[in-house]
Amino acid sequence: MKGLAPLFLGIFGTFAFSWVGMTVIPNWQIGHLSPQSDEEGTDIYPQPQSGMFQRGARVFAANGCAYCHSQQVRPEYAGADIERGWGNRRSAPRDYIFERPVFLAKMRMGQDIANVGARAPAEQQSPPPAGAASPAASPGGATSPAASAAPRSAAPPAAPVTQGAAVSSPPATQQSASPSAAGSPVTAVATSAAASPASSAPKGSPSPAPPTGVASPSPGAMANASPGATTAPSSGPQVVGPPWPEQTIGEPPMYSVAWHHVHLYSPRSINLDSNMPAYRFLYEKRRIRDQRSAEALKLTGSDAPPEGWEVIPSYDAKCLVAYLMALNQSHPLNEVRSAGAAPTASVAPSPAAAAGSPPPSPAPAK
Amino acid sequence: MNVTGIPLKEPEVSAAAGATEQLERAYIDASTRVPVLMFYTSAMAWLILGTLLAGFVSFKLHEPDLLSNISFLTWGRVRPAHMNMMVYGWASMAGMGTAIWLMARLCRTMLRYPLLLVAAAGFWNLGVLLGVGGIFLGDSTGYQWLEFPGYAAIILFVAYTLVASWAVLMFRYRRGEQIYITQWYLLGAFLWFPWLYAAAQLMLFVVPVQGVLQSAVGWWYANNLLFLWFGAIALGTAYYMIPKVIGRPVYSYHLATIGFWTYALFSSWTGMQRLVDGPFPAWMITASIAAMILSMIPVATVGLNHHMTMRGYFPLMRYSPTLRFTVFGAMSYTVFSVVGLLISLRSVARYVNFSQTSIAYSHLGLYAFFTMVIFGAMYYIVPRLVGREWRYASLIKLHFWASAYGIGLMTLMLLAGGFLQGADMENPSLPFSETVETVLPYLRGRSLAGILLTAAHFIFAYHFGLMLLGLGRTSTVPTFLNPVEAETSGGH
Repeated sequence: MKGLAPLFLGIFGTFAFSWVGMTVIPNWQIGHLSPQSDEEGTDIYPQPQSGMFQRGARVFAANGCAYCHSQQVRPEYAGADIERGWGNRRSAPRDYIFERPVFLAKMRMGQDIANVGARAPAEQQSPPPAGAASPAASPGGATSPAASAAPRSAAPPAAPVTQGAAVSSPPATQQSASPSAAGSPVTAVATSAAASPASSAPKGSPSPAPPTGVASPSPGAMANASPGATTAPSSGPQVVGPPWPEQTIGEPPMYSVAWHHVHLYSPRSINLDSNMPAYRFLYEKRRIRDQRSAEALKLTGSDAPPEGWEVIPSYDAKCLVAYLMALNQSHPLNEVRSAGAAPTASVAPSPAAAAGSPPPSPAPAK
Repeated sequence: MNVTGIPLKEPEVSAAAGATEQLERAYIDASTRVPVLMFYTSAMAWLILGTLLAGFVSFKLHEPDLLSNISFLTWGRVRPAHMNMMVYGWASMAGMGTAIWLMARLCRTMLRYPLLLVAAAGFWNLGVLLGVGGIFLGDSTGYQWLEFPGYAAIILFVAYTLVASWAVLMFRYRRGEQIYITQWYLLGAFLWFPWLYAAAQLMLFVVPVQGVLQSAVGWWYANNLLFLWFGAIALGTAYYMIPKVIGRPVYSYHLATIGFWTYALFSSWTGMQRLVDGPFPAWMITASIAAMILSMIPVATVGLNHHMTMRGYFPLMRYSPTLRFTVFGAMSYTVFSVVGLLISLRSVARYVNFSQTSIAYSHLGLYAFFTMVIFGAMYYIVPRLVGREWRYASLIKLHFWASAYGIGLMTLMLLAGGFLQGADMENPSLPFSETVETVLPYLRGRSLAGILLTAAHFIFAYHFGLMLLGLGRTSTVPTFLNPVEAETSGGH
């Protein structure tokens, strides 16, 4: 080959071709998506995220969570993601328009967490049905260590009672057995700060059947709502069942804020087989001053702090959990078919509208 | 100093060239000494540090409680620190050192503006140091292969601009009209890298694109870095070293032209196949898969060219360390490409997409292909810089076999483990933790392979250190791996 000019032009040309083809044209095609809304312009999805979410995303990035946890649900034909209950539909570009950085990731040494917020138990937002309510759920009892320790001592802490196969786990058992942290002010605050309106049901509603249970066919709602709260049509065709069987009796309800904290602090106290490292540096062990903090983690066995000490989450840990609680792609998208057409059709009563609060206007940019 | 470095037989090409040409080469080599050794020494330091971190990462993956309570030693920080140290510290610096030396040789001119390169090496080291420090302190950006925070990225970019402008300047001073194949690849690498890096940084951090496109840009960058930067340097180096060592011209110039342009055209379109079935328009992923398939054209042409050049000369691998490493690397290029193609086909990708196979793929490209070629080049170049021959043939052999077995075992473990992990993941009746249990034994096997690689790198670093200290052999004959018949003066 002779002469520098053709070589240089060729080198530049191939690069430019690739750059335009692989980044510029896609950017023109899907780089300027807007949130979708219904005809009245109310049911807006997705919505801009809170400041805690943004900071939680940075904690997520800093500690490399994405090297083990992906955040993308593949379509039915391309994998068992939906069958595993990681979502009720495939992820679409529109799900991510407010996220930066985006953690699609491509490694699953841990579970996919695109919908981990949707798995949060329903009682995070509303009181559980009367039958399932444990004494600890009363406002006073939840914060008192004595009351929350009582049900736990009934079960041997070292012996995790796993529910066996995914399909056969009765949700009611989990609920009645757990000393539900629902009434804890911490969880309530964190949830309201973090959860996207799509998943937040009217708070304080006495109804045992919150709209979320019906409206969103999310596996979380499936796994955690009591059988009475879920209507037959939505539970009938879905054979999904709770896909996360490893639940130790005596822990906070799975995927609740309190559960995430315990899980981050000591993953193997919740699931013996877990391969996740502990993130204790996000937590602070301190001496109890006059009263045990409401935020203190409910730890058992060798993880429990010595008498007179407590473990509380740092602000980073709270942001990280707020971030996790807000990961929720269960809202239907027009361009994607959700698994099970029936529940999708019944979505009409939007949770945001039911809550009575005007939805935040979708900011075009962050 | 033996400048021709051709074992066993009289060179056919340079036989015509007289003593003047040898003298000229010696002068050119001497002029490259300071900058190239600076790049090489830094690269070696990063290689050793990165190797230690790699072992740590590998063990922590199956022993999650190992030192997990210290924030900067958490797995999610050590892993990107290891990866970036290897990519930007070891591979990029060793690649640049090799490319600089090759440029000077092939432009047949004394290295000019050495200060430019010395400054670049200094800045580059500073950038990597700050970047890795930033990752440890929790400043990672969260984009794979681009984890370095902005303050490190800008320093890297400045350092790189110095190297690239030096390369363009060198081209202006070149003698002779003919531009050799290696120079195509090197000029490509020198120009592609800054464009890639700048484009990715701009689209992710300066004027960020929306949503999932960030991932698209990230993987476009990562794959192009692998092909257009590391791959181009390694292929260019192989095109120089193989004919040089065996003393025979490249089999076909025409094939090389086809190989180069199809490589540039097709491999630059890959990247999205790593996100197969992700939330993207299907055409993007399909285009990348098609590009992966078309990439078999350069693989076939380059492989054929090397093979035909080597034909009849394969026994020389018994003697020449450079040839042995380079041919191993060149063959790994084919393996790397074929594995890359297989795991991107949609029917296979659904099983392996979220498993350890992608780690196997990256290591095949960065280690079995790139690093082995660069090791070979260093065995050729370093004696010409320090004026000494490698001291121990046995250490070179140990290095080769530990590296070859290490990377082979690692790739096998990760591929097999990844396939099983992926198959389990596709079976929803198995609880998720089973899929992790399945892959753990293979990860322990990988740690074993890592020990082999660590040994290899320490041996090489020790040998390299001896050379730097001037403790190599004083001889006119290069160090052969096995004593050559009739001259048993080899090391030991």
